[in-house]
Amino acid sequence: MSNMLIKMKVNGTEREVLVEPEDRLLDVLRDDFGFKSPKEGCGTGDCGLCTVLMDGKPVLSCVTPAFQARDREIVTLEGLNDDPLMKNIEASFRDHHAAQCGFCTPAMEIMGYDLLKAKSKPTKEEVKEAISGTLCRCTGYYDIVDAIYDAGGSE
Amino acid sequence: MAVSVENYITELQKKAERGELLYIGQSLKRIDDLEKALGSPIYTNDLIPRNTLYAKLVLSKHPHAWIRSIKVSGAAAHPGVRAVLTYMDVPGINESAAIVPDRPLFAHEKVRSTGDIVAAIVAEKEIRAMEARDLVEVEYDPIKPVFDPIEAMGADAPKIHESGNVAKHMRVAKGNIDAGFNEADVIVENTYKTQFQDAVPMETETAFVVPHDDRLLIIGSMQSPHNTQASVAKVLGWPLERVEVIQAVTGGAFGPKSDETPGDVASIAALGALKTGKPVLMSMDRRESMIAHTKRHPSIIKHRTGVKSDGRLTASRVEIYLNGGAYASLGVMVIIRATFHANGPYEIPNVLNDGYKVYTNDTYAGSFRGFGAPQAIFAAESQMDEIARKLNIDPLDLRLMNMLRPGKRTSTGQLMDDSCGLPECVDAVVRSSDYRKKVAEYSTQSGRVRRGIGMAILHHGNSLGPENNDYAYVYLNVDKHGIIHLGTALTEYGSGAVSGIAQIAASVTGIPLEHFVIDRPDTDKHKESGATVASRVTVIGGNAAKNAAIKLKERVISFAASLLDSNPEKIKLADGYAFSTDNPEKTITWNEIAKRSFKAGVSLDVVGYYIAPKCIWDPDTGVGSPYNQYTFGAAVAEVEVDVETGELKILNFHVAYDVGKVINPAQAIGQIYGGSVQGIGYAVMEELIHVDGRVANPNLKDYYIPTSMDIPDKFIPILIEKPGSMGFHGAKVIAEPPIVLPGPAIRNAILNATGMEINGLPITSEKISMNYAQHE
Ligand code: FES
Ligand code: FES
Repeated sequence: MSNMLIKMKVNGTEREVLVEPEDRLLDVLRDDFGFKSPKEGCGTGDCGLCTVLMDGKPVLSCVTPAFQARDREIVTLEGLNDDPLMKNIEASFRDHHAAQCGFCTPAMEIMGYDLLKAKSKPTKEEVKEAISGTLCRCTGYYDIVDAIYDAGGSE
Repeated sequence: MAVSVENYITELQKKAERGELLYIGQSLKRIDDLEKALGSPIYTNDLIPRNTLYAKLVLSKHPHAWIRSIKVSGAAAHPGVRAVLTYMDVPGINESAAIVPDRPLFAHEKVRSTGDIVAAIVAEKEIRAMEARDLVEVEYDPIKPVFDPIEAMGADAPKIHESGNVAKHMRVAKGNIDAGFNEADVIVENTYKTQFQDAVPMETETAFVVPHDDRLLIIGSMQSPHNTQASVAKVLGWPLERVEVIQAVTGGAFGPKSDETPGDVASIAALGALKTGKPVLMSMDRRESMIAHTKRHPSIIKHRTGVKSDGRLTASRVEIYLNGGAYASLGVMVIIRATFHANGPYEIPNVLNDGYKVYTNDTYAGSFRGFGAPQAIFAAESQMDEIARKLNIDPLDLRLMNMLRPGKRTSTGQLMDDSCGLPECVDAVVRSSDYRKKVAEYSTQSGRVRRGIGMAILHHGNSLGPENNDYAYVYLNVDKHGIIHLGTALTEYGSGAVSGIAQIAASVTGIPLEHFVIDRPDTDKHKESGATVASRVTVIGGNAAKNAAIKLKERVISFAASLLDSNPEKIKLADGYAFSTDNPEKTITWNEIAKRSFKAGVSLDVVGYYIAPKCIWDPDTGVGSPYNQYTFGAAVAEVEVDVETGELKILNFHVAYDVGKVINPAQAIGQIYGGSVQGIGYAVMEELIHVDGRVANPNLKDYYIPTSMDIPDKFIPILIEKPGSMGFHGAKVIAEPPIVLPGPAIRNAILNATGMEINGLPITSEKISMNYAQHE
């Protein structure tokens, strides 16, 4: 199998990386570029913890081959550190004690961000739907739903 | 800010008067690494450098077989592979068991389950290690397996271990069981069954090992660094001090990370690191974790209860058979807790409980949040509703008549004092849910979609009790900037409990929480403090933190007295200031005190220690006081059931827990939410299915855990405070109990809705609709 040199924009910076066909986007982001916020909870596309934004849409980076990100724009939580909406979301997660072990938190925050971008004041039901593919084993979701809900409409 | 100096001083004095409770009962934000660094690289797998090698496991293909040969040459020759490890590569003792020495790290001669580790591959890339797994050739001679625990106890059952198939028998006996049944007007007999549950911490078990000089540095995801250190040292044949273990921020644990698996992953990475001279990461993928780590024991529980026609319980005979899988693990402790709690939170004069943890050829079961209580209380609380039904009295009235309250005695004869808040818990959920009105209204429905309401209650012995010595060390080290480093080998894996004990230290000293940081647990720095299990951080660690804080306060006061030219007796500390009651206007800040003490060479560093009073009980009968104090709880579930499709909605869920004294309300409620939702998963959807000893659904596609769409719309958590004898100002444990009640409460609500008794978990839609079809 041949290796490919591909380009992608990651968190605002143009990057080049040599990938093998079987390489996962998750590993390229974590190991090659050092962005550790996407987590591996299952590796099979079933937990949502590896979620990143590709051209602005959430994708599961554990089941996305790295070469599919060629010429695309990828954003992880690290790329949103200075975004005012993400800052609100993060503050709200702290206020609500919404991170227990914290392992799901980056993905939850990304899903919250994606929802609030599209709809600044969603209902709680809409928040629950937005995070329904992202698993958390610690919180029972209540504090996470409240955190995202309260971060809404506060811009 | 326009606060007058005078007001401020009065405020300060008021705060000083609150003394030890200065920062207690407030939802302060956590101060551990997690809180500071969310989203940044903090977990084990975030930390590894690029030249790391990766290890993967070769698991047994058979549930029970002799190993005739293992050939690794093909795997070793695979591109990228740097080492293949088997039992032959273990320089020390090939043993990875926690208590009973029944489990080798690498299978040798025999496999007893499909979770047995036969070999491990160390390679440059994870994918190369995965490919090479299939190239390890193992020849097996299958032996007849056994999967049912009761069958496994039979005389002619296949022998899994030389010692026989009962790993542990536990008995509780009080009064005269035969007399109790003779006295009864009615006898109710039922059998209850529960399933394998997987803890599914979102981060799997993982350890990263760096060889350096003649030592190893191990960073990993675990509940007890000292247990991991001991496992690795034993496998290597090294003295403990050559192995340093640091617990990384840990992405959930729930029990399996206190059992044997963290030792396995660390030992395998350590062997790989020594063989290659390179850092090695052994990070289980989800499949490996779900097959190879400990799960919740499936159970068969037989209840026979004698009762007077007015509802008074006279006798309770319970037999518990836990399917332990192939190894003992901490399961030998699980059966103790299960047997102690088997009759539920009731006073029953005559009791006989026998609990067995039995070896089978399923993958092994062990430590998991609740530790035997979820099975025991599911059976006990289902049985109460069956008794109520038989006598035609309300299940609530039956409970009120028999339940523990001050002056009553448990199944071991332990007297309940004022710290028993069970009546208050029951009252709270009954009111909150409008139980009385609804239970009557719902019991006469017909039609396809029906509503029901059900309840369940519990007592939960706190901390280790009969399981082990219950002690902890907490260090408070002060640097010149006034930062107080709280160090302990007790670990944080999500609950915020370690931050909670810092809150206690802050309250005792009068130095605000923001001056504290929590150091990572490290075997080089912190003395062993027992594993972080049984929700024991707040109670045991909290007392050690209090004892450390008292010492720190003494030192600060005597040093501040010299700075303020006053007597130590007159010095008060509050909100980060010290002042003398003679002259309260003259204050000195904590930072200043710390700086000056550093300059003066006066160390403020202290260590606090606490050991719980010994629990006295008779090992043959269980009679005595196996736990120093109990948490109490009550839950009411309201459900809607479509009897034809089996679709089940949990409309609302009310819970009340007597937590003694709340240290941090938001964190306590976080534990209640999280534990309850895990309990709902156990009740209605989760089952790790074994078919002939092979796990059929070791992935998150086929093993369902609750998503945000599965939680009740309305969830009402209530905290009750009836101080216990042990924790800080009476604090009791809260992390474990909430997982226990959803199972029986939901089961009893379905009974109320439909008249169908479903005596096995999980209560899935298929089970409901099948039951209904048979019922009609
Ligand atoms: S790790 Fe990608 S979905 Fe679970
Ligand atoms: S906080 Fe632990 S998985 Fe969500």
